Amino acid sequence: MLAVHSLTKRFGELTAVDGVSFHIRAGETYGLLGPNGAGKTTIISMVAGLIPANDGTVHVAGRPMTPAGTEAKRTIGLVPQELAIYPDLTARENLLFFGRLQGITGKELTRRADEVLELIGLADRAGDLTKKYSGGMKRRLNIGIGLLHRPGLLILDEPTVGVDPQSRNAILESVERLSVEGMAVLYTTHYMEEAERLCDRIAIIDEGRIQAEGTRDELITLTGGVDRINLRGGGSMARAAEALRALPAVRRVDSDGTGLLLTVSDGPTALAGIVTGAGHAGMSVTSVEVVRPDLESVFLHLTGKALRD
Amino acid sequence: MSPLLAIAAVELRRFLRDRSNIFFVFIFPLMLILLLGSQFGAGSGQGKVAIAGPESGLASALAAELRSAGVAVTASGADAARADLSRGRTDVALFLDEADGQAYEAGRTAELGVVMASQSSAQAVLQQVRTAVQAVSLGRGQLAALAGAGVPEANARQALDRAAAQTAVPTVEIVDTNEVTRAFRGLGRFDLGAAQQVLLFVFLSSLTGAVTLIQGRRFGVVGRVMSAPVSSGQVVAGQALGRFAIAAVQGGFIMAGTALLFGVEWGNLWLSALVLVLFCAVSAAAAMIIGSVIDHDSAAAGVGVGGGLVLGGLGGCMVPPEFFPDTLAAISYATPHRWAYDALAAIQRRGGTLGDILPQLGVLAAMAAALLLLGAWLLRRSLNRAL
Ligand SMILES: Nc1ncnc2c1ncn2[C@@H]1O[C@H](COP(=O)(O)OP(=O)(O)OP(=O)(O)O)[C@@H](O)[C@H]1O
Ligand SMILES: [Mg+2]
Repeated sequence: MLAVHSLTKRFGELTAVDGVSFHIRAGETYGLLGPNGAGKTTIISMVAGLIPANDGTVHVAGRPMTPAGTEAKRTIGLVPQELAIYPDLTARENLLFFGRLQGITGKELTRRADEVLELIGLADRAGDLTKKYSGGMKRRLNIGIGLLHRPGLLILDEPTVGVDPQSRNAILESVERLSVEGMAVLYTTHYMEEAERLCDRIAIIDEGRIQAEGTRDELITLTGGVDRINLRGGGSMARAAEALRALPAVRRVDSDGTGLLLTVSDGPTALAGIVTGAGHAGMSVTSVEVVRPDLESVFLHLTGKALRD
Repeated sequence: MSPLLAIAAVELRRFLRDRSNIFFVFIFPLMLILLLGSQFGAGSGQGKVAIAGPESGLASALAAELRSAGVAVTASGADAARADLSRGRTDVALFLDEADGQAYEAGRTAELGVVMASQSSAQAVLQQVRTAVQAVSLGRGQLAALAGAGVPEANARQALDRAAAQTAVPTVEIVDTNEVTRAFRGLGRFDLGAAQQVLLFVFLSSLTGAVTLIQGRRFGVVGRVMSAPVSSGQVVAGQALGRFAIAAVQGGFIMAGTALLFGVEWGNLWLSALVLVLFCAVSAAAAMIIGSVIDHDSAAAGVGVGGGLVLGGLGGCMVPPEFFPDTLAAISYATPHRWAYDALAAIQRRGGTLGDILPQLGVLAAMAAALLLLGAWLLRRSLNRAL
């Protein structure tokens, strides 16, 4: 559905996007995860044909995307990072206007506008000027406009920024549903939870380059695949630590007085042996926690920086 | 609806949705035209004469004679007449006293005091007063001649009236030699004001309406529009059409409104509409330029109001350009208003034909084309700036 090949964008001295390549299949949700200024929006602007690339190509459904061409644009639905709605029009008028730009007319247009209003939960406020909406309602409309023409590729640029948890959940759910219906989704975010929940594959972006790409699990193995296990309880912890260190999966054991912190190569598999071993060594285990590495640790591992400051 | 029309329609809709626009675009111009018409009105072009002094046969004979010549006559005291003269409310004042009335009745010579106001129309009215005085004294002379020949006065009067009814009296038409008054001949009370205000306001509100373009960029909708399968040419054309529609809706409203409410004569409607269409195109293009170059609403509104008023004033939409000194009159031709004003004047006052106003139409079309090209180029650049 989308093929991006060595895309590069320079703003004067700054190379905001540097040789980025990736592809998205139909029905796949692809995430661009990166901190502020990583180049996510710049990539999206080129993918949506808003700004020209200095180098590289974008193809949508096999057609080349350029700012001047209109063919490839038929297939995309863009939800910009900043709100892009007319505050002095109603939600319905906004939908109808952008629908007409997509070449949808007449009854079909009204029907789809109604559908989208239903989907984004604004049907009962459809006739109000959008300047009277709350921030979350504006965000939902912002997304709805991108869906109206049922694009093959939906591009969402940080759609949940500044949205309360409830609206946010609603947004994530709609994205999941659309993806199930076969829509390809390009999703940028700097929230790793969103990327983990939604995306089939994720590219970790920093300083305009893809630092790593893959499924969540693939990315996590990059950290070396170590998990942490926290054992809490009483009894003879020193003996237990001694015994656990002897297990092959265990790399390291620390004690903090109230429990043991283990660094383990494959936590879930080794867990049973660890709990039994600790018990045999005289420790009474009251709670166990397995902490698997997340994308945050992957980002830290790859760039030496935290995802959010 | 094609994308181009959709863009134009949304611009018009957003413009009309603004309540303050509704007042300034539709109501205010009509109020102004009404006000101007009633000020300069009382039948502009109609001469006004005040007759001061006691009731007398002479006074009523003069008043009747002047009225029949289409002059508005008021009777007043001497002081009131002088005050009216100085304020320009009357053109000529006639001062009669008791002696004049008695002299008239007795058939003797009476000496009338005549004072003329300073306004240019007074000269023509003075002519009418002279003619009336002549007519009255001629009638009086004839009556005296018949009475002298032994005819009883009642019979003599009857005979004179009959003679007047039977013979075609050559009417004296006052040929106005004053250029300025001649220029306004043929205008009804509201006609001039309507022509001026329609130009002033169409241009003014087009410029201030450019704010919707600037907001479009700030609202971030430009990016969304450009990500749709719409070429930048379509966007620019849609915007141009939207600006034009904003101007044309207002122009059409003022033309129709003044014709219906105030009985304004627009002359040949097709030709007036053609002038208006070209003028709207110039206004729309100017709005595109303002809306593309300026990035702040308030700055655009300021430039719009300031520019609209200055160009309107220069172009003769406040003081009629017929009153301009030569240099100012020459400068006024740099504005589209002046060309449109001249074209409307030719149509409204002199029954001008398409051939008569071709030069003005040509200049307006050329202005529109040049500004549209510039506006389109600037607008396209401003779209890229917004991405
Ligand atoms: N029009 C522009 N002119 C100059 N520099 C730009 C322009 N647009 C973006 N940049 C720069 O390019 C870099 C990438 O910006 P971009 O907006 O793509 O980041 P982002 O990943 O979307 O960040 P955020 O999460 O804050 O939205 C930044 O350093 C930014 O300052
Ligand atoms: Mg961004």
